[in-house]
Parts: sequence; C-alpha cells; structure tokens
Amino acid sequence: MNLSQIVERLSLEPIVEPNEPNAEVTGGFCGDLLSHVLAAARSGDLWITIQHHTNVVAVAQVAGLSAIIIAHGRRPDDATVSRAREGGIALLASPEPAFEIAGRLHQLLSAPA
Amino acid sequence: MKSIVADLHIHTCLSPCGELTMSPRRIVEEAVRRGIAWIAVADHNTASMVDAVAAAAAEAKIEFLFGMELQTREEVHLLAYFDTSDACHRFADAIYPLLPDRENEPAYFGDQVCVDLDETIVGTEPKLLVNSLDLGFEQAMDRVREYGGLPVPAHVDRETFGLLAQLGFVPEGATFDVVETTSGRLPEGFGGAAAICSSDAHTPEDIGRRTTRFVVDACTIQEMVLAARGVGGRSMACCWDRGRTT
Repeated sequence: MNLSQIVERLSLEPIVEPNEPNAEVTGGFCGDLLSHVLAAARSGDLWITIQHHTNVVAVAQVAGLSAIIIAHGRRPDDATVSRAREGGIALLASPEPAFEIAGRLHQLLSAPA
Repeated sequence: MKSIVADLHIHTCLSPCGELTMSPRRIVEEAVRRGIAWIAVADHNTASMVDAVAAAAAEAKIEFLFGMELQTREEVHLLAYFDTSDACHRFADAIYPLLPDRENEPAYFGDQVCVDLDETIVGTEPKLLVNSLDLGFEQAMDRVREYGGLPVPAHVDRETFGLLAQLGFVPEGATFDVVETTSGRLPEGFGGAAAICSSDAHTPEDIGRRTTRFVVDACTIQEMVLAARGVGGRSMACCWDRGRTT
C-alpha cells in the first residue's frame, strides 16, 4: 500500500505533503524516544510518534523512514514544518492516539492486496 | 563575598545543533558584552571543548565551570558540573563508551567539530552526540556525584528533553541541590532545591538570554550548593527574558 492511500484511509492531515506519494510503505514503527527509533526502526517504516520537535525530521531522514505521523492531536511548530519541507519528509497529523493509528495501519498493511 | 551574573549552559560548535560561530573566543566575547562574568560550557555528552573555552575565559578574566549536558536513557537532559578540567574529563571518558556507536551524519544533525582558540578545526567527533547514554536518569545523577560533580537537571519545565516532560514526575527519593528552569520558578516536586536559569544558547545571540545572579565566595560547585541553601548570606536569583527577575 502506498503513502497516499494510507493518508486517505487513516484520514491523516498532511501538514507537509509527501514528496513521493506513491512510495510503498513497508512497515510501521511506534516510538517516542528518538534514540530508540534511531537504533531500531527499519528503513521504509512509517513512524508514529507524539514527538514533534525539529529533531524528529533528522531522525526520519537518517533512519530512512517513509513519513512521520504525529499522533494524538499534537502539532509541530513552524521550525519543524520548515525543516520537514526542506528535507522532503512528510508530516502527517492525526487526532487519534498512537495505539489506534498503529492498529489500523497494521490492518491495512496486512490485508491481502 | 561577590555578586556575579552567570550563564552556565552554553553549547559550542561541537554540539551538532550548535552554530559553527560558537567558538571559544566568540562565546566569551558575547558573554562579556552582556555583563556575564561566569560561564559554563555544556555540550551534549562530551567535554572535548571545555579546555579551549576555559582558556578563552581565562584570557578575558571571567570565571569558568566545566560542564556537560548528558542525555539519559529516558532522553532526559542532565547537566553535570565539575570544578576542574581533570574531573570533567575523567567523567567524560567514563561515559563515552555508554554513547551508542551510531555515527553522526552532519547533513542531517549538523557538524561536530572541535576548534582551538584561533578557530582552527582540530578534530571532529565521529559518534552522534545527540543520542542517549546507556544510563538511566538516577544512575546518571549518582555517576556525576561519584566523579565529584554536581548534577543539575536541565530545563525541567521545558516540553522537550526536560525531566518532567520525559518522566512525567520527579523520581521518588531523588535529591537535588540545584535545578535549571526556563521560567525561574521551581515546579512542584523539587523540594529543597533552588532554581537557576541559563541560556541553553546554541547561537551567539542567545548567550545571556537567561542568567542567574549568584552571591558567593567563589565560583565553585560547592559554593553553588551553599548559595542554593542560602548559607552565610550566599544567594542565587534567576533572570529570564533578559531582565525580568525573580
């Protein structure tokens, strides 16, 4: 399933639009400790977090993550948004808690194509 | 006894998030220009720039404290202050193996360079410094004290990397002499401690945006603790937003 389909199915608000909306999402990762995400997320994962400061963009870039879902109604500040634009990292917002988003994403990714 | 304005949380060009303009003499010049006579350097998880800035401070005849800003396993930022370069480096060497081996990628996080007094690059730090030590918050507090340092939780009232935001509470049984805040007001749960304010500057312009005025006998960690307890006429008072004071 590609990123734009996921944005639509999970009703995510694209604060920064994906550069490659057709990119295939291979998995997901939940984590709010940036050091843990750096150490354990796999390239291509869609990252679900409540963190929204500028370092999340650098972490997503370095770890090769497909996009960031900022969960539970949190909003990134202007610096994070501009950094994400510059770095080509999609920022997707959702009012839902991470557990709900992860559950629905897991269903989408494991459904037969 | 003397009254002295201090900014005890300044990053150098070695911190990836610190501007390259944060060189030893530039830091000291900006501090002096703003009437700050006591500074401390606190780079993320490293002490590799403290000696160069100490030398610049000595040239300008201002006081210097050796510091680091640790990032614990819970991503809490904890300042560690030492009176001597030796003590600071002994501690820094001891915790370096606890920093993950992940390499810094300057394009994403920023450069991690050491410079000398003349702003010549004399080294780069290969490991990503804005990462978490394999050390819990309370272990880190104990470790700093074990090496003769003063642990001071950084910006405890800030949403990112502050103790309260990361843990949600102050750990039971933890004791603090001094706590850094951004507002000058000590949140609940730090009973017995006193608040300091520092800039957490990553750019020259931000140096001195928050400061603390100390009345102490000397610029040491022991005097800081005595000032926190108000012993013998010593005191400390926060100043934030360039001028508003507690």
